[in-house]
Amino acid sequence: MRKNGVKMIKIKAKDVDVFYGKKQALFNISLDIEENQVTALIGPSGCGKSTFLRCLNRMNDVIDICNVKGEILINDFNINDKSCDVVRLREKIGMVFQKPNPFPKTLYENVSYGPTIHGMAQSKQEMDEIVETSLKKAALWEEVKDRLHEPGTGLSGGQQQRLCIARAISVRPEVILMDEPCSALDPIATAQIEELIDELKKEHTIIIVTHSMAQAARVSQNTGFFHLGQLIEHGSTDKIFKNPDNKKTQDYITGRFG
Amino acid sequence: MSEAPHTVKSYEEELKNLNANIIKMGSACEDSLGKAIQAITTRDNNIAEAVIQEDEKIDKYETLIEQQVVNLIALRQPMAIDLRETVTALKMSSDLERIGDLAKNISKRTLLLNENLPKNLVDSLNRVSTNVQKQLKSTLDAYLERSAPMAVNVWEGDEQIDDLTNLCMQEVIKYLKENEKNLEDGTHLLFVTKNIERIGDHTTNVAEQVYYLVKGEYLEGDRPKGTEPIVTGEK
Repeated sequence: MRKNGVKMIKIKAKDVDVFYGKKQALFNISLDIEENQVTALIGPSGCGKSTFLRCLNRMNDVIDICNVKGEILINDFNINDKSCDVVRLREKIGMVFQKPNPFPKTLYENVSYGPTIHGMAQSKQEMDEIVETSLKKAALWEEVKDRLHEPGTGLSGGQQQRLCIARAISVRPEVILMDEPCSALDPIATAQIEELIDELKKEHTIIIVTHSMAQAARVSQNTGFFHLGQLIEHGSTDKIFKNPDNKKTQDYITGRFG
Repeated sequence: MSEAPHTVKSYEEELKNLNANIIKMGSACEDSLGKAIQAITTRDNNIAEAVIQEDEKIDKYETLIEQQVVNLIALRQPMAIDLRETVTALKMSSDLERIGDLAKNISKRTLLLNENLPKNLVDSLNRVSTNVQKQLKSTLDAYLERSAPMAVNVWEGDEQIDDLTNLCMQEVIKYLKENEKNLEDGTHLLFVTKNIERIGDHTTNVAEQVYYLVKGEYLEGDRPKGTEPIVTGEK
């Protein structure tokens, strides 16, 4: 998004290195993520795109041997700083995974879980509203409003993924990270998620990792291409897919790799 | 194409094939234009007939290229350089098809002309057409070589064609004024001259496509223009 012609930057990664034990997975990544836009991260398996995504909400903390260096500024605050409250951080930065992973609880409980632990509702009525709004924003409400107290795991794959998105947005995150959110879904469910991504970017900044180049082209405004732990090229999606600057980018997106 | 080959060989083949068809179509146009000019300047009706017949071949290339492009877009979803190859092939084929049509039209008029045309008019036609033929050849070479500078050269050369066309037009108008009997031949010659100029314009369009193909950006600025075209013979 631009304000007075200037790109608004939500996340600024500066010289990020990531190591798994002795093995370096990311090399000196510097990348600006534009606010209220969708940024797609593409690249072959093992290129580091998911690793980078996981840096943005400190998910790599749960891997003992993982070591992250460099700065990641979100709203100008370095989330790698010792003073960063990781629980608050993850309230601000939601995440949706490859495989839909609803809690083995009811639909209602799935969506209300986050707002409950963050104390976002003062009454049952307020919580009902949060659940309804979140499900509506996730384009799931109409399909499930009569069975909110049935288990979330009883939904179809596409519905489960939208439930996970509803769960992620229920705490009103500023940023949503999506790691291959459609790879387990059929084309119809994929289109629904893509439509949803388009809607969600009005209120959230979205970063999506995808193996589908066509999906990256369809949903994102900016694209970053990773290869062997390096950010090879980052720019507007339109430029990357029509006329990339880097030969490696071109070889990858045109299917000339290796 | 200097790019590394695609992982999927059949895709690579399809793009190569598209490229080869553009080259074949371009050569067919070059050939038709050359023959059309030869027919009119040497007054050889057999050659003119051949040009008229060969236009069908050029039209078929256009249909074939269009089908290949639609298939590539539908089935391969080309990106970046491949996308530009695909889209420019479609645009180039439609300009080349028009070149074929115009060459055919020149030949149709050739069949209607009198045996003896004044030498100065034949020379004048030859001058414009030699230039246009050279332009068409350079454009196809630029495509083959994927050379943006060569495409720019062609683009800039269009100005000279405009000037030569106007000179030629003036001579035909003079010829028309000389004698009422010249009316029929003179009118055909005006159209022939205009057709040659139009071929030059389509050639310049193709050159612009070559530039876009190579650079991924459009040639900026107005196309160079020669002297104002003559609308009527009255000064």
